[in-house]
Amino acid sequence: MFTTSAMSAVSASSPLGLLASVLPVPTAGLLAATGAGKLFGRRLRARAARTALPRLTGGNQRATLVLRVTGGAELLLAVALLAAPGRVLPGVGTALLGLGFLVYLGLARRVAPESSCGCTANDTAPITWHSFARAAAVVLGGAAAVAGGRPWWEAAGQDPVPAAAVAVAWAALLAHLSAGPGPGWRIPLRRLRLRLFGNPLGGREQPVPVAASVELLERSLAWETAAPLIRSGLVEHWDEDGWRILHYSGARHDRACACDRRVSVLFAMDAEAHLDHTLGQVIRVSVVDEETGEVLTPEAVPEPRRRLPLAG
Amino acid sequence: MSGTADAGKQPGHSSRFGRRGFLTSAAVGGATIVGASALGALDADAAFAAPSRSLDPAVTQTTFVEGRIGAIRGSMLHVAGSLGETHRIQVTNATSLWKVRTTTLDAVEVGDGLYARGVEMPDGSIAADAVWVNIVNLYTTIQGIQKDRLHLAHHNRELVAHTVPETAASYAGSALTPDLSRLRIGQPAQVLGAWRPADDSIDVVRVTVGH
Repeated sequence: MFTTSAMSAVSASSPLGLLASVLPVPTAGLLAATGAGKLFGRRLRARAARTALPRLTGGNQRATLVLRVTGGAELLLAVALLAAPGRVLPGVGTALLGLGFLVYLGLARRVAPESSCGCTANDTAPITWHSFARAAAVVLGGAAAVAGGRPWWEAAGQDPVPAAAVAVAWAALLAHLSAGPGPGWRIPLRRLRLRLFGNPLGGREQPVPVAASVELLERSLAWETAAPLIRSGLVEHWDEDGWRILHYSGARHDRACACDRRVSVLFAMDAEAHLDHTLGQVIRVSVVDEETGEVLTPEAVPEPRRRLPLAG
Repeated sequence: MSGTADAGKQPGHSSRFGRRGFLTSAAVGGATIVGASALGALDADAAFAAPSRSLDPAVTQTTFVEGRIGAIRGSMLHVAGSLGETHRIQVTNATSLWKVRTTTLDAVEVGDGLYARGVEMPDGSIAADAVWVNIVNLYTTIQGIQKDRLHLAHHNRELVAHTVPETAASYAGSALTPDLSRLRIGQPAQVLGAWRPADDSIDVVRVTVGH
């Protein structure tokens, strides 16, 4: 078996040498996680059925077997990458496995584009560029192990801060790619920011929104009484002297000309009132003829019925 | 009614604020009605309700139209419907126009989508009673809260929802309030707003959570 001292193309202390020493560690972590998921995961048959493997291998039984064997290989490679960083074989194996993933993903995309990747425990997400990028990252991790240099524990001992930074950054990238499409880790970060700095939408308590006035109006007897006249939505609104005026347009049948005449229907209510704070629920209704400006309220708006008529 | 007889000469001839003054005095002096009972709505939500036949025999049957505005000529909107049909929609002084807020024809642009309700005229155009421009009603999940916008997940897609001065929230069936500080990440939220065709974001007008 070759050792990296003979193969090494990069100087151990250079930044590239550091990458070559450290990258195999997060790669091994990823392989261990996905390998364990495939080897010991529950409902592996159902998982296999969702991938393109049954169509590529000719049966769900074989697909399950392929998943299990791949999981075993991933676990073995993970252990070898961590335990024998000086050897070439684990690196070559990892790079080949990554290449195999890339070929499989390309075939699966062509054969069954809607199928799941089957790469991680996240077994329902379809194949996206994330899956390809993660497979490429596995190839890169394998290549780093082949290029080799110091074992990772030596690199960690000699340059602890840069080594930790590289390992954490690469692990974060792999985790992001494994999380699949969607917001992923952004939501926990946003939650944390809200917890630390408070809700940035605070301090908006005043005034009562027009929509809240409309909501109260539409549940009022005033609305029920005037509704048959109203044809439009809210045309305009304004506040004056503590009143909020809501203007609708409508039509009223005029028996004299046997036609519809356009009217304005006006509601006046307390500008501070809303459903949870009704302030006596007094709403005033007026009907004004659009052409003549005549106030038609008494004949257009019947007195509301306050009490149900009693029989007898 | 002597006071209103004098004021009655004003509308249509004076400035907008003179007219408002007249309407205010008419409104405040109007019939006072007390009480509350539930009834259907004519606000922005009504754009999504099926047009109902009025119980009043005097009200002409209404027509409902939906589509994208292809041209605006004067106060006539030329609209291409989703099913390939075309409509001409006449906006009048009595038409209510909604685009984020109650507004006028100046705020309406070519390319906007609309829902309109009105009465068909003999020439085939529709005299609009109410027009809602770019209105959207979405069932979403809140995924981010920032000073001037919310990030919403809608059908596996992230949607940016800008807050505007009119933005109001309703928590667990309470009245609408401008206080948005009780919104939480992860909450399912029904959002009423106006789509912005330029960047595919929305202006959010109402957020309903805990419903």
